[in-house]
Amino acid sequence: MSLAQVVLLVLVVALLGVYTSWTAGRLDRLHARVDAAWNGLDAALARRAAAARAVGHHLPPGPEADALEAAAAEALEGGPVAREGVENALTRALRAALPLLPGDEGARAARAELDAATTRVGLARSFHNSAVADTRAVRRRVLVRRLHLAGHRVLPMHFDIDDALLPAAGAPSP
Amino acid sequence: MRVGIVCPYTWDTPGGVQAHIRDLTESLLALGHEVSVLAPVDEPDAPDLPPYVVSAGRAVPVPYNGSVARLCFGPLSLTRTRRWLRAGRFDVLHLHEPNIPSVSMLAIWSARGAMVATFHLSRATRSLALTVFEPILQTGLEKLTGRIAVSPAARKVVMEHLGGDAVLIPNGVSVDRFAGAAPLPGRPSAPTVVFLGRLDEPRKGLAVLLGALPALVQRVPDVRLLVAGPGDPSDLMAAVPQPLHDRVELLGLVSEADKPSVYASGDVYVAPNTHGESFGIVLAEAMATGTPVLASDLEAFRRVLQDGRAGALFPTGDSAALAAALADLLQDPARRAALAAAGSQAVRAYDWSTVTASVVEVYETVRASAPVQDALDDDLPPEDAPEAGGRAAATWRRLTGRAGSSA
Repeated sequence: MSLAQVVLLVLVVALLGVYTSWTAGRLDRLHARVDAAWNGLDAALARRAAAARAVGHHLPPGPEADALEAAAAEALEGGPVAREGVENALTRALRAALPLLPGDEGARAARAELDAATTRVGLARSFHNSAVADTRAVRRRVLVRRLHLAGHRVLPMHFDIDDALLPAAGAPSP
Repeated sequence: MRVGIVCPYTWDTPGGVQAHIRDLTESLLALGHEVSVLAPVDEPDAPDLPPYVVSAGRAVPVPYNGSVARLCFGPLSLTRTRRWLRAGRFDVLHLHEPNIPSVSMLAIWSARGAMVATFHLSRATRSLALTVFEPILQTGLEKLTGRIAVSPAARKVVMEHLGGDAVLIPNGVSVDRFAGAAPLPGRPSAPTVVFLGRLDEPRKGLAVLLGALPALVQRVPDVRLLVAGPGDPSDLMAAVPQPLHDRVELLGLVSEADKPSVYASGDVYVAPNTHGESFGIVLAEAMATGTPVLASDLEAFRRVLQDGRAGALFPTGDSAALAAALADLLQDPARRAALAAAGSQAVRAYDWSTVTASVVEVYETVRASAPVQDALDDDLPPEDAPEAGGRAAATWRRLTGRAGSSA
């Protein structure tokens, strides 16, 4: 092996080392961001479920009120398992129940809190999914996969639910 | 909440981003938040510099993205940015245009914690510099917890170039600053059409308006055009028939303080833009003043004007249609009053109080979704340590021949 080849080999190994440690650090930061964003989303979803249950207390008794109570209770259990389905079910129960909500002050306040909580869910979901997209983009790279730079961390998943509600009467459209 | 806002452009020069940051900051202060703005400042001793602005140093003109941007980038600015971060202990750091090489980018590199950025650019920027530095930029932008775009077009740029999503929060207008403004003093009582915008920027559409003038004068003989904005008008005026020259009144660049009166001097405000308008802040300002609006039917304008309910629309770029629509409006005081009333009502949705409430919701969500709760980087030296980068800053000053602007 000539000197030039040795130098070249050392250079390649050194560059690979720099790239590896830099990317590992970058992935660390990205996964921390995904975890934190999930915590924020989890908190926002819990607030929405609590607000949905409070709205349910203002509903006239009937199947819609019962369905909303059941869906809110399940959503308040939390946990990442089948969470999207649970949250979508809550949105469906809310859509069915909200037209029955009376117009008194207590019900309007509960609805306002639900709308505020729904906005936060939308924001937290956007932040979470951006973090997931950034992380997945780095993890897709060939060297990252070949060198197992992500370690044993699970590939983060997008969280896609339908959280849009009909606007309350008199509320400005977005 | 303690909020640190970073402005990449020189505070002393007028611009959309600077005005956005000024209005947002004052609106946040009015809500009781603590706000500090870090920006390049050319004259730190100017008496009209707001107390919330902290200087990041002087900016240098750099050709960037097809025009000259005054940017602030160097060891001295980095030192100041880090000192500002250390002293500020912000709950949330709000960066504007972090994808251009200026103070916002320095702040991203120096800070951690709850960070959100607002993207204003609605055009995709493809320059060699950007392509080369994109991987480096990308790693900085990865530290952002949240992203805001001011228009659907800006949001599309973010999604295509950075991946991920951005929350849409449109620009705001300080409605109360415009509402009920008095017309400019000494105006003749003739029917007046107002235009505001750069004269020599074709997409602002002044040529479309001037092209409508001959046909308009046929129907409204004493009509006057009040044109406000910087730029050289001689080329455009050459297209106007000589006898009509005295119908066009050129005001030149008007100050922010005089803008409400300029809008109020018109019987109709015209926005003849041909394309490229991402939001239409001028429309919202005219609506806030209570001046009826006639605008080209660009998508952004249609949205602000609620498809014609809060202001009239004409086919984009069509001078003949513009002349007809203007004459109809000028001869119909009842329709003008109805449009003005609908406009004043519709513009409330764009008031800074509404916009700021949305931004605060983003701040709160960002705080709940950020990896660490303080915006300080761990390795920032303590307050009494020798100034970080001091030697580099001195070298930089020596190299650039710039005498100490360090204090």
